[in-house]
Amino acid sequence: MTIVSAFLVPGSPLPHLRPDVDSWRQFKVAMENVGEKLRASKPDVVLIYSTQWFAVLDEIWLTRHRSLDVHVDENWHEFGELPYDIHTDVDLANACIESCRAAGVNARGADYESFPIDTGTIVACNALKVGTPELPVVVASNNLYDNQAATEKLAALAVACISEKGKRIAVIGVGGLSGSVFTTAVDPVEDRVVKKVEDDCNKKILSLMESGNIQALREALNSYAKEARAEMGFKHFHWLLGALDGHFKGAIVHHYGAIYGSGAAVVEFSI
Amino acid sequence: MANGEIISGFIAPHPPHLVYGENPPQNEPKSTGGWEQLRWAYERARASIEELKPDVLLVHSPHWITSVGHHFIGVDHLQGRSVDPIFPNLFRFDYSINFDVELSEACCEEGRKAGLVTKMMRNPRFRPDYGTITTLHMIRPQWDIPVVSISANNTPYYLSMEEGLGEMDALGKATREAILKSGKRAVLLASNTLSHWHFHEEPVPPEDMSKEHPKNKIGYDWDMRMIELMRQGRMDEVFQLLPQFIEEAFAEVKSGAFTWMHAAMQYPNLPAQLHGYGTVIGTGNAVVEWNLVKAGLARMAGKAA
Ligand SMILES: [Fe+2]
Repeated sequence: MTIVSAFLVPGSPLPHLRPDVDSWRQFKVAMENVGEKLRASKPDVVLIYSTQWFAVLDEIWLTRHRSLDVHVDENWHEFGELPYDIHTDVDLANACIESCRAAGVNARGADYESFPIDTGTIVACNALKVGTPELPVVVASNNLYDNQAATEKLAALAVACISEKGKRIAVIGVGGLSGSVFTTAVDPVEDRVVKKVEDDCNKKILSLMESGNIQALREALNSYAKEARAEMGFKHFHWLLGALDGHFKGAIVHHYGAIYGSGAAVVEFSI
Repeated sequence: MANGEIISGFIAPHPPHLVYGENPPQNEPKSTGGWEQLRWAYERARASIEELKPDVLLVHSPHWITSVGHHFIGVDHLQGRSVDPIFPNLFRFDYSINFDVELSEACCEEGRKAGLVTKMMRNPRFRPDYGTITTLHMIRPQWDIPVVSISANNTPYYLSMEEGLGEMDALGKATREAILKSGKRAVLLASNTLSHWHFHEEPVPPEDMSKEHPKNKIGYDWDMRMIELMRQGRMDEVFQLLPQFIEEAFAEVKSGAFTWMHAAMQYPNLPAQLHGYGTVIGTGNAVVEWNLVKAGLARMAGKAA
């Protein structure tokens, strides 16, 4: 098995910009903890997919060796900045692009100064301490026209391509759970999953992940995306499923809670 | 004092291809041209701006998406590099923008008084979205008129089109109030594409115009139908048809800029001036103006009301 660890983490900047809010800090702490687990699994590279990096034409892969900048979130600009310094394994990213093309998926690289790296990729790299010179990343975009099945296929293709080079891979899907949010200002202390039904759906899907019952999980996923208004159809989880060839033994939910009304969890998969 | 007015409103779409085709010094990628019909349309719009001499340009862009309220840029100046996330090969633009913070704050406050959630963006390291930058460059490449930049609250997508466009209507009315009280002569820019069906592959080179045409007939037919109604000044019908247009042509006006602008102008049933139409990677784009000075509804520069 060339996948050595797999994680689902939220891409919201709030836990990182406002760690003074207790409930949000718990996400940051959980992400830092799973970052340690990730590094302990001794991967050569970390394969990331973030729902917030939108692609429309081709599947875009980050092919810049070092991305160094300061990011301001378009929603949460008042809470400050997210500096980042992300190192990419460019050879592997280019290999993924070639592999996409060979499979009939239009793909290209992004190697530009000031390219707008999305908030999710940034917070995942920062909190899990990946994308370093010692532990570079390969980052794939979320093509808005890809469905869940296409996302699984993309992940499988990337894993096959990187495995062929003899590399050990940690994989991360960056995104939230239920998607309803507060649309007016709320006191962060009062934060909760805004809809009870979505909270229930989130808990059910997380418990199915913990159980490792993939068949039941797959059945539940069909309705989950809709009922919970899951972020981007929960494609970041399908990314993980695709990377893991549809198998994992169970999962540890390191934290579950609300981020401005949406549901979010930090999950480590047992593989 | 309260002598401000809206002197004109434009549909001013933002495909970065237009900047790429023009080759301004600020944009790093260079082209051999392309999309001339639309760039010439913008030339005519630029001439109109030159004649109107507005004090301020207000722009509402679908690519600054906010989930909690409507945001307004509230810093005097921003500069930096903007790279289009979708077309980074075409648009890597060094911007330097001056904002009319006083009017932004007034719009924010009037919106709040109208019951909207509004917020000022005060972070000096914030990067404006490429839609805002493209529209501003195409309408006024001199970059010498201060700007009010307004985010697209995502209610049309998050709730329903009706609720979302209701928000934009209220935002437009609040914007109008702020402009009237400001004493300034303002031009409104709705940064929107019309039909939004597009190709999924880019030709090589991207400016190969032999590959450029409407993505599909339904989008093109809708664009022509809506433009013809606009040209005839049948704006009531335009707004009646808007939800169906959005659904069937996947029109980007769903994001609210067009509704915001017309609400601010009090939905004038005025014939629009079509400066030009063209497609960009298959999407339908029109540069369209409702000139309130020419219609006798606003004063010329330098003339007191
Ligand atoms: Fe757009």
